[in-house]
Amino acid sequence: MKKKMNLSPIFFVGPHIILFIVFILLPSLYGIYASFTQWNLVGDPVWVGLDNYKTILFDQDSTFHYQFINGMKNTFIFVGISVPLMIIIPLLIAVALEHKGVKMKSFFQSIIYVPGLISISAAALIWSLIFNKQLGVVNNLFGSDTVWSATQPFAWIVIFVITIWAGVGGNMIIYRASINGVPKDLYESAQIDGAGPIRQFFSITLPSIRFPLIYTLVMTTAGAFNVFAQPLMMTAGGPRQGTTVLMMYIRDLAFSSGESIAGIASAMAVLLGVVILIISALQYYLMNRNAS
Amino acid sequence: MKKIMMILFVSLIAIGLAGCSSDENVIEFWTPLTGDDGAYMNELVDEYNEQSEQELEIKHVITSDMYTKLYTVMNSGSGIPDLTLIHADRVPSFAKQDLLEPMTSIMEAQSELNEDNYLSEAWTAGIVDGTQYTIPLDIHGSAMYYNKDLLAKYGVEHFLDDDIVTYDEMLSLEGKLDEGDYVVNDALMGWVILAQIQNLGGDIQIDGEPAVNTPEMKQAIEQTKAIADAGLMTPYGEDGYLMFQSGNVLFSTDGTWSSTGHAQVESLNFGVTNIYSFEPDTFHNRASSHLFSMMNNEERTDEKEAVIGDFLEYIRENSIKWAEAGQIVASKEVNESPEYEKYMQSFFTKNEAEEDSLHIYTYEHYPYVAEAIDTYIADLVHGEMDIDEGLKEMQKVVDDKVAEGSLDIENAETDAEE
Amino acid sequence: MKMTKKISISKYLSYLFLIVVSAIWVIPLIFGLATSFRSQTEVVTAGFRLLPINWVVENYVTIFSDTSSAPILRWIGNSLFIAISHTILVVIVISITAYGYSRMKFKGRDVMFFTLLAISFFPSVVNLIPSYKIIDMLGWVNTPWAMIVPGLAGMGNIFLVRQFMKNIPRELDESARVDGASDFQIYSRIILPAIKPILIVCGLFSFVGSWNDFLWPVIVYTDVEKMPVTAGLLLLQDIYGNYRMIGQLMGSAILAIIPTMLLFVFAQKYFVQSLDLNSGIKG
Repeated sequence: MKKKMNLSPIFFVGPHIILFIVFILLPSLYGIYASFTQWNLVGDPVWVGLDNYKTILFDQDSTFHYQFINGMKNTFIFVGISVPLMIIIPLLIAVALEHKGVKMKSFFQSIIYVPGLISISAAALIWSLIFNKQLGVVNNLFGSDTVWSATQPFAWIVIFVITIWAGVGGNMIIYRASINGVPKDLYESAQIDGAGPIRQFFSITLPSIRFPLIYTLVMTTAGAFNVFAQPLMMTAGGPRQGTTVLMMYIRDLAFSSGESIAGIASAMAVLLGVVILIISALQYYLMNRNAS
Repeated sequence: MKKIMMILFVSLIAIGLAGCSSDENVIEFWTPLTGDDGAYMNELVDEYNEQSEQELEIKHVITSDMYTKLYTVMNSGSGIPDLTLIHADRVPSFAKQDLLEPMTSIMEAQSELNEDNYLSEAWTAGIVDGTQYTIPLDIHGSAMYYNKDLLAKYGVEHFLDDDIVTYDEMLSLEGKLDEGDYVVNDALMGWVILAQIQNLGGDIQIDGEPAVNTPEMKQAIEQTKAIADAGLMTPYGEDGYLMFQSGNVLFSTDGTWSSTGHAQVESLNFGVTNIYSFEPDTFHNRASSHLFSMMNNEERTDEKEAVIGDFLEYIRENSIKWAEAGQIVASKEVNESPEYEKYMQSFFTKNEAEEDSLHIYTYEHYPYVAEAIDTYIADLVHGEMDIDEGLKEMQKVVDDKVAEGSLDIENAETDAEE
Repeated sequence: MKMTKKISISKYLSYLFLIVVSAIWVIPLIFGLATSFRSQTEVVTAGFRLLPINWVVENYVTIFSDTSSAPILRWIGNSLFIAISHTILVVIVISITAYGYSRMKFKGRDVMFFTLLAISFFPSVVNLIPSYKIIDMLGWVNTPWAMIVPGLAGMGNIFLVRQFMKNIPRELDESARVDGASDFQIYSRIILPAIKPILIVCGLFSFVGSWNDFLWPVIVYTDVEKMPVTAGLLLLQDIYGNYRMIGQLMGSAILAIIPTMLLFVFAQKYFVQSLDLNSGIKG
């Protein structure tokens, strides 16, 4: 009786696995294969073994080595600063929104969520007009003479501003919903024990929303590693390639006006994928362990 | 809820099936002409289809990312368009990769599609190793706009007397401008530098090898940097294009197509001239060209080719509409007509010297060179980076990309065969 | 007494914070909206002003007048169809799959789940060509299928939903099982109602994601009439990436977000009121 094969899991996970194989696994395998080849996107890839990886990782003289190192460095800067902000700011907003006495929650929430709906090119245009030295408000308001998009660290700040403006909405909704679901009696008994709002936040709210935090951290980080539109539109990667993230180099190598260098681009993408994997596995492991 | 879902599913399937029928009676014509350019081309295509007695219709497909899309269909071998409008700088590498079909049979069928009837720079941009791969639609490229009111304000209208504004003339305004005003912006700076290389008699290749780190390149950048150093160029990172429109910049080095955009600004009183130069007697404007081409496709029937030829001949005779997009129409029948003179860009075909100033780079690895220049030029001209160091890096970037490009793939293939 | 005072202080702090944040968030929105009512002349000459000096509707007139090469209303219709179908399918697929990965027992279940999740983290930038080939083989080029189906393969939502399912008390389905309920019945009668709120959140994210995707539709559509709005809007922009008509670009971007904005405004009431995301997340 117990030995009988249970086929029902196949009905539940099977359809998705087929979709996954067709639309994610096969293209990814092809991408990994391409990373071991020289390929111009049009003809057939030519196998070169580990050459692309050797060039990218070890050939100090190679442009592609420089691009990879510089792109990776800038990507880490972006991830390292934007991800904490993309977690903390929406968390604070969610906490404020979930305060008992606060009214017009939907109104506040809508204002903060809507920028994420705007196309990136329109959003970039809005912000570049705002940061524009002559026409814009930022310099007029603060009386500074700096051209933000061409001076560090302002170039990064411009990128972070648009990223956060357009990006906190999703996490805010997840946090708000999670906080809303924390049993009210936990807070009540804490209040009786004399715990203030700050202590309540750290001892009740945060532990209660552990999974949403892990989830948003992992997904936000993976998303941040894939960034390219914001730096491309706001600073074009400058000054001095100081905001050129790896994804911009990858896209340029594969899809710019010269003959495509897709083999190297694929190898960079695979390396980026490996980094994302390691970091998200670490995050998941550490957050899970610390909590238990 | 369940009902809604059922309806959706049924309609989904219906749409999915409807999508399967593909039309054999149209000629798919892909262009990267987004924005207003696409609308002008639509009008041209519609006019052609209306007067045409052919059974096949031209179907204009605008694609915002046409080259990526071309790569994907060429790689998969299906959905290849019948006719394509490509940029001049793609021709050498497309021809080398054997992606293009020669225009030979089309030219045989339509005798007027010949070199004499087009601007020669546009016509020859389609020739690779003696084979004609394209028929030109236009030349479009660098143009320098001037703000008439500002020229008058500073009393320097005489800069334009010989149609050439020189570096010296621009530098003579040092210290004479009101705060917030600038002589020139840094829009399309890469193209300006490419024009200066021609002005200095240089090139971007030596014996087929890319040449970026050259004395001419250095001189061009240094001289342009002198303008920025003198505080006469719009600052790094500022939107020089908008600053020209807002009336704070005497000269804007952008493109022929911008005239329509500038015309939208009522307060802007502007004209067009050549890109600035070193000497009044040597001047160039870096240009590109939109070229009709046929991607290799065995399924393209002779019948289709006949209609394509007919369409190209129609365009040659009737593309005055294209002048409205701000482009320099390549067909002489159009650009020598009196009607064409009312368009601002007729400046660039008004005499032989102007026609000669239009320069299209046809070097195979031009795209890599242009990309390297675009990546570094703002940092170099605005003094963010040492010029020698920058030139060395640029040369290296181009060399490495060329080494990774298809030449090596060919070598690898022959290696494998040996 | 002391307690109420504390609450009111934190209440005012919350308000202060929310008002400051909302103000920062809303100013660019208003500026963008206002810019769509400005002429190009005003955009470049007037300096920074929140509201236009002269309100003009030319930008919108231009947007709506070109119905042959830029049928924006049609594009919005296409997007609605794509996004709604995609969202419905996403909700079905992720809930069924997450049930499999959380409630059912089979060998290597968690290893398999995390392997798939890991693979899905690889950047897909250079996978464009194999992806296109697959769509082409399926005959889906120029059909909404190309937009609706591939996104169903994603793992992110399943990850989220699986976790919430895991935390629904087991006793519920075990007692149902004793009563003879099949897995499908447990899924549809017990689990589905319990995870409805998180499914709504996932649905919203999927809807917005599908609506805003602009890289993929450019590749799989050639037919202007069939395009979704985000890809279509790219056709309005200048070929050289310049923005010749700033107001027009803003206007079209604003038109394109109206449907998603309305959806959000109506949906948020529902998902926040009834959301109990942590149901039993206690480790």
